[in-house]
Amino acid sequence: MTTNLIDIQNADVIMITSNMAENHPVGFQWVVRAKERGAKVIHVDPRFTRTSALADIHVPLRSGTNIAFFGGLMAYAMNNDKIHTEYVAHYTNASMLIDDGFGFDDGMFTGYDGDAKRYDRTTWRYQTNPDGSPKRDTTLRHPRTVYQLMKRHYSRYTPEMVERVCGIPKAKFLQVAELFCSTGGPKKTKTGTVVYALNLTQHTNGVQNIRALAMLQLLLGNIGLPGGGVVALRGHANVQGATDLAVLYQDLPGYMAMPLRDVHPDLATYLEKETPKGGYWINKPAFFISLLKAWYGDAATKANDFGYDFIPKREKADAYSQQHIFVDMYEGKIKGFFAIGQNPAVGNPNATLARAALAKLDWLVVKDIFHTETAEFWRAPGVDPKSINTEVFFFPAAPAAEKNGTLTNTMRLIQWHNMAVEPPGDVRSDLHFWYHLGKRIKALYASSTARRDQGIKALVWDYPEEGKHAEPSAAHVLREMNGYVWAPDWKDRVQLKSFGECKADGTTAAGCWIYTGVFPDEKTNRAASRQIDKSGKDYLQHGWGFAWPANRRIMYNRASADLDGKPWIESKALIQWDPDADNGPGAPKGKWVGRDVPDYGPTLAPRAPKNAAGPLKGVGGNDPFIMRPDGVAGLFAPLVDGPLPEHYEPVEAPTRNLLSKQQINPVAKIWQVADGRNEIAEVGSSKYPYVLTTYRLTEHHLSGVMSRQLPWLAEMFKSHFAEISEELAKEKGIRNGDLVEVSTPRGSIKLRAMVTKRLRPFTIDGKTVHQIGIPWHWGYVGIAKGDVTNDLVASVGDPNVYIQESKALLCNVEKAAQQGVA
Amino acid sequence: MGVVTANIQDPHWGMYIVWYFFLGGIAGGAYFTAAIADYFGGPRERQMAKIGYYIAWPLTVICGILLILDLGTPSRFLNMLREFKWQSPMSVGAWGLAVFGAFATVSAVLAYFERGPMPVLSLSEADRLRYRRLVGLVGTLAGFFLASYTGVLLGSTAIPMWTESRLMGALFLASAASTGVASIALVAWLRGLDLGETWNRIHRFDRFAIVWEAVLLAALLVMLGGAAEPIVSGRYALLFWVGLVAIGLVAPFVLQLRTGHHSGRPTFALALPALLVLVGGFVLRYVVIMSGPYHG
Amino acid sequence: MAATMTQKVMYTDTTICTGCRACMVACKQWNQLPYEEPEWTGGYGNRSHFSDKAWRFVRFIEVDDPRPSHKGEVQWLMMSDVCKHCQQAGCLEACPTGAIHRTAWGTVDIDQGICNGCRDCVASCPFGVIAFNADTGRVNKCTFCSDRVPAGMPTACAKTCPTSSIRFGDKEPMLEMARARVKELKAQGFERANLYGDSDILGGLNAFYVLADSPSVYGLPERPELPQRNVNLDSALAIASSVVIGLAALVSFRDQGAGRQG
Ligand SMILES: Nc1nc2c(c(=O)[nH]1)N[C@H]1C(S)=C(S)[C@@H](COP(=O)(O)OP(=O)(O)OC[C@H]3O[C@@H](n4cnc5c(=O)[nH]c(N)nc54)[C@H](O)[C@@H]3O)O[C@H]1N2
Ligand SMILES: Nc1nc2c(c(=O)[nH]1)N[C@H]1C(S)=C(S)[C@@H](COP(=O)(O)OP(=O)(O)OC[C@H]3O[C@@H](n4cnc5c(=O)[nH]c(N)nc54)[C@H](O)[C@@H]3O)O[C@H]1N2
Ligand code: SF4
Ligand code: SF4
Ligand code: SF4
Ligand code: SF4
Ligand code: SF4
Ligand SMILES: [Mo]
Repeated sequence: MTTNLIDIQNADVIMITSNMAENHPVGFQWVVRAKERGAKVIHVDPRFTRTSALADIHVPLRSGTNIAFFGGLMAYAMNNDKIHTEYVAHYTNASMLIDDGFGFDDGMFTGYDGDAKRYDRTTWRYQTNPDGSPKRDTTLRHPRTVYQLMKRHYSRYTPEMVERVCGIPKAKFLQVAELFCSTGGPKKTKTGTVVYALNLTQHTNGVQNIRALAMLQLLLGNIGLPGGGVVALRGHANVQGATDLAVLYQDLPGYMAMPLRDVHPDLATYLEKETPKGGYWINKPAFFISLLKAWYGDAATKANDFGYDFIPKREKADAYSQQHIFVDMYEGKIKGFFAIGQNPAVGNPNATLARAALAKLDWLVVKDIFHTETAEFWRAPGVDPKSINTEVFFFPAAPAAEKNGTLTNTMRLIQWHNMAVEPPGDVRSDLHFWYHLGKRIKALYASSTARRDQGIKALVWDYPEEGKHAEPSAAHVLREMNGYVWAPDWKDRVQLKSFGECKADGTTAAGCWIYTGVFPDEKTNRAASRQIDKSGKDYLQHGWGFAWPANRRIMYNRASADLDGKPWIESKALIQWDPDADNGPGAPKGKWVGRDVPDYGPTLAPRAPKNAAGPLKGVGGNDPFIMRPDGVAGLFAPLVDGPLPEHYEPVEAPTRNLLSKQQINPVAKIWQVADGRNEIAEVGSSKYPYVLTTYRLTEHHLSGVMSRQLPWLAEMFKSHFAEISEELAKEKGIRNGDLVEVSTPRGSIKLRAMVTKRLRPFTIDGKTVHQIGIPWHWGYVGIAKGDVTNDLVASVGDPNVYIQESKALLCNVEKAAQQGVA
Repeated sequence: MGVVTANIQDPHWGMYIVWYFFLGGIAGGAYFTAAIADYFGGPRERQMAKIGYYIAWPLTVICGILLILDLGTPSRFLNMLREFKWQSPMSVGAWGLAVFGAFATVSAVLAYFERGPMPVLSLSEADRLRYRRLVGLVGTLAGFFLASYTGVLLGSTAIPMWTESRLMGALFLASAASTGVASIALVAWLRGLDLGETWNRIHRFDRFAIVWEAVLLAALLVMLGGAAEPIVSGRYALLFWVGLVAIGLVAPFVLQLRTGHHSGRPTFALALPALLVLVGGFVLRYVVIMSGPYHG
Repeated sequence: MAATMTQKVMYTDTTICTGCRACMVACKQWNQLPYEEPEWTGGYGNRSHFSDKAWRFVRFIEVDDPRPSHKGEVQWLMMSDVCKHCQQAGCLEACPTGAIHRTAWGTVDIDQGICNGCRDCVASCPFGVIAFNADTGRVNKCTFCSDRVPAGMPTACAKTCPTSSIRFGDKEPMLEMARARVKELKAQGFERANLYGDSDILGGLNAFYVLADSPSVYGLPERPELPQRNVNLDSALAIASSVVIGLAALVSFRDQGAGRQG
């Protein structure tokens, strides 16, 4: 997220599009604090949830129509003088001119290749000056400016269209538009924050959903200011840490690309292709080589490309997502699988496919703190254990309280925790497992001369072991991520203080450059710091834990100040330029000061020309978005499915696309799976007429392993249920508590009907469309058991990141035989 | 949806308590009827009074046992006497039962040793009778208490039907009188006592008690209004109308009108109304206790 | 545990309760209360009554929005219900053994070492709070964390509540906050917003609430009264009945002349 949960209290208007009160209940306290200060809260969700209960306005929107709604808001802002003109003109690429070849026609951007089902993106680019810099019109009047293109693009997103597509009554839409856009305007006086999570991501246009929301914030000038920003609420306690440390297949730690075999044959090519010409990422070689040094130490030399060849390379750009893996597994392409802290038998979309895929493995290792449905898939209901040939190994895992380590939470805050109790019996930490597995593998390969094995041999694997179980020191792992001046011995390794110290010459090692600063010397673990400022001076609490990068709590905070470095809004000052600040003898005066660590060159003066060299090459005095090559935020940004978000219907939709003839995202991924395991319902299907969405409950956790097996949580929600409107229930003769059967072309499940006023039918293009909702926490192991919701969900994905579309699909619901209703 | 239910917690007062209320009523009723007859009546009444004392004493013991058995932690029954709280009928009741037990014991002993040698205390027969009648007269108050406090106890709870019942103590008292005298009649019939004219007195008193009980019951139902739903039209209605009103009140009243007796061995016709009254008395306690916390 | 300890209260502002039920779990955990088979309430709640194993539970109520500005819209009220720790406590008055007592900080607690399980308190709580525990033969309810408060710790549920919907503290300042909150809510259009548990209700509740709508909407009695208020009148009526019956007996059985013997 760009901001910090604590900062939500400074917002004047908060637009929540996820179910924050239920899924981020602790973070939600800051929304409550803001409310107490008079902020208005808008909740956008097809269902009236516990978040809606605390909101001032609930906006029911048909699942999967987010871009229509955000597009409508952007159009409203642009047409009603609600944009923060100066911010938009100078801090975003709204003023850049776009190639004359670029266009958009009836749902399609220029360059679509129907056979390959992909876009050729060459025209999606700036017009450039002779020196290569983008052409710009900061009056925003030129017809080829991004701004004018956007204005035209979203002119179709009228309040009437929003009503027809999303089912939000026009009056309500206008009420929300007026309220939220009151945080923008040329003479901005307020800030607004937006909150999202899976409600936007789990769609075949998930990434564009988020972009649309971020673009709205940019138009209103809400990013970088207190009470502004985009609050991206993350999932698992450490999912932020997991992505930082490259759990995603396309990344290496610190968000550097996982090399592609053919594109990046050697280090020089990799660095050449991956390092932009301007912006802070020009320092990538230092970060990348430090990473290689951390991994391969003395074996990483200039002569051998610092061990670049040791790293495995991707064959394809897109073949390794969770969904790809399970389709491959089902096709027999994968022999073994480690499920360490995940439960795909319940959590994967198309979970029947996932379980069938597990049965095709030779071996499966599950390391978990409970027996999961994945560990037990071979004796799931209806499965004959004799028919399963997969060998399953179960390793009991130590949960957080039984080990030292860190969690990086949704606000990039790295927090250390100490072991509270020793893990019992054979229970070991995951770190222990991987470390000792690594040691054994290294021993096995010690004498190998095969080229492919040299990386294993070269790997630096020297964390000190502690205690009777030879537990590797988690603190040393964190020290390695932080980075140090390379030395073969721990005692000679001097910790780096900031990532600015990373070098491209092989003298420094850093396991994850963005974490540098968390362990600035061998005695200081800032992740373990627990200082609280009660005086109110440091409301962002810089003494509590360590937020990457550089303990900065609000990103892009340069944007909180105007072109002269003064706060846009006096009461919402964050950092500002102090022209008189003394920088020591000989140095020019002036620096950025304020309540946060500046996300900027500390002495880079407002209105300064773009740096011609140095670590901030290409960044000038008014370029707050320093990670971008042009220093400004990208309203226009060429993703694989378009440079501007456009509404498409979900892959399964109850209606044709009312905005264009292009029904779905033209480049959405729909897996073709053998044995009819991924059938898709047709548009407006009469067999599956209802919209279905899946979601979470406060009382349960994800696939339910950690909550359905705990008596206190299991009793909170024992029966699996579907939320159904009173109207649909009446139509179907369903009473509250009845057992119902919900089906999709992939499968069907039985569960109880919870008939409620909180769901209401939508009127879409004049027709009634019913939506039902099903939480997905249930499975066949534990105290609270139930059918697996994901048996209903399809294997389809967003073309950028391949996230499943589990928020919007089609289903049918029928009353079932009333057996075994507890 | 979301369910909002009444603020009721079921105390799980079950058959022990029903029997306690019923037998406690009989004990109290038999005792005060006996004592009043003993004091103000003639020799036949005194014979009848002895039966009353003999009934009251064992029932008191049984009542004590029932109460102890009903406790969640029976070993702690003496904790009932740790404190005395005027406003707590349960507390006052525990003390009251103890006091009543003392009177019932003394009366029963003095009745047993009406004539002949008497152990421990060497009182003359005349003194014994005098003391018995005096003790009985004072004990009448304890009898009234035992017969009615259970109703007051229900009225001082928060259970809607009970808490609205201003006349429950009064009603239980009437029922106790009726069941008390009925039990005397029943025992007299069982033992074949020739109570002569006193039978008619018994019936007259019982008829009065029945009428009084019916009046109080009617008044109570009127006062309760809708809160009486479980009794008059709900789950316990059949039991109430048949078991209490028809069998327990109307039938014995009518039967007693038709029987007259002057001498000789009592016939079953004399005992039948008593039997019905006892059934009615039991049904009253049962219905009231069971229907209170019943909801839904 | 000086007798001079200030009155401690829990102030629950239901209008910022998210119904997360962390308070229920916290209570169960702190007090080590076992699993209990839940009921299907038709909504998000897993119970509609207190029990010996559930001393706190959240009520979920789906109603029409009480704000005139939100006419026709649904509203979902949530209230984490608990023992009210009444100043006039039916349970305490009823208890014959003295097991139920008032603590030095004004709350109502049960001494498990004294309770004999007579259950009169169960029947005498106007909120249906106390419940019989068949395993121990005694009764249970919220203790107001009497094993935390004297040690200077807030109650476990208040400590856990993420939105601080449940606040623990001294009575007077908390009441002030609550009164101010009601004013705010009224200004926001919650015309029926009210403070439930000021001195007008059972002499004051040490667990009081700010409600967005009338108490009955939450399933609370509008005007709960001390059940023992009936004792005097009921006793008088019982005495009157005794007099009537006594006179009838006297008339029925009195010796009518001749046969009067010594
Ligand atoms: N208690 C608890 N907390 C959790 C989790 C948990 O399991 N339990 N899981 C954690 C994880 S891993 C994650 S990723 C996060 C997820 O946090 P959220 O994204 O808040 O989680 P969901 O409940 O999946 O979905 C949120 C809401 O999206 C709504 N919705 C469906 N379709 C649309 C749409 O098209 N537009 C909009 N605006 N809303 C839509 C659903 O009705 C649902 O209420 O929560 C985390 N926090
Ligand atoms: N239909 C539908 N499907 C969804 C979603 C949805 O909204 N709708 N949401 C998706 C999302 S956002 C997510 S994040 C996934 C989650 O899907 P999963 O990650 O598969 O589900 P979890 O239940 O979180 O599995 C985590 C496991 O880790 C175990 N665990 C906990 N701590 C430790 C530890 O320290 N070590 C080890 N080894 N194990 C540990 C837990 O016991 C649990 O079994 O589900 C996805 N699936
Ligand atoms: S479970 Fe942890 S991360 Fe989630 S809301 Fe609670 S405290 Fe925050
Ligand atoms: S709410 Fe009930 S249990 Fe709690 S103090 Fe009041 S009367 Fe007693
Ligand atoms: S059950 Fe226990 S606490 Fe309740 S009234 Fe009886 S003795 Fe007192
Ligand atoms: S005060 Fe303590 S005992 Fe009472 S509900 Fe809260 S946690 Fe439970
Ligand atoms: S913990 Fe707080 S917010 Fe959550 S249900 Fe309880 S009172 Fe409500
Ligand atoms: Mo997630």
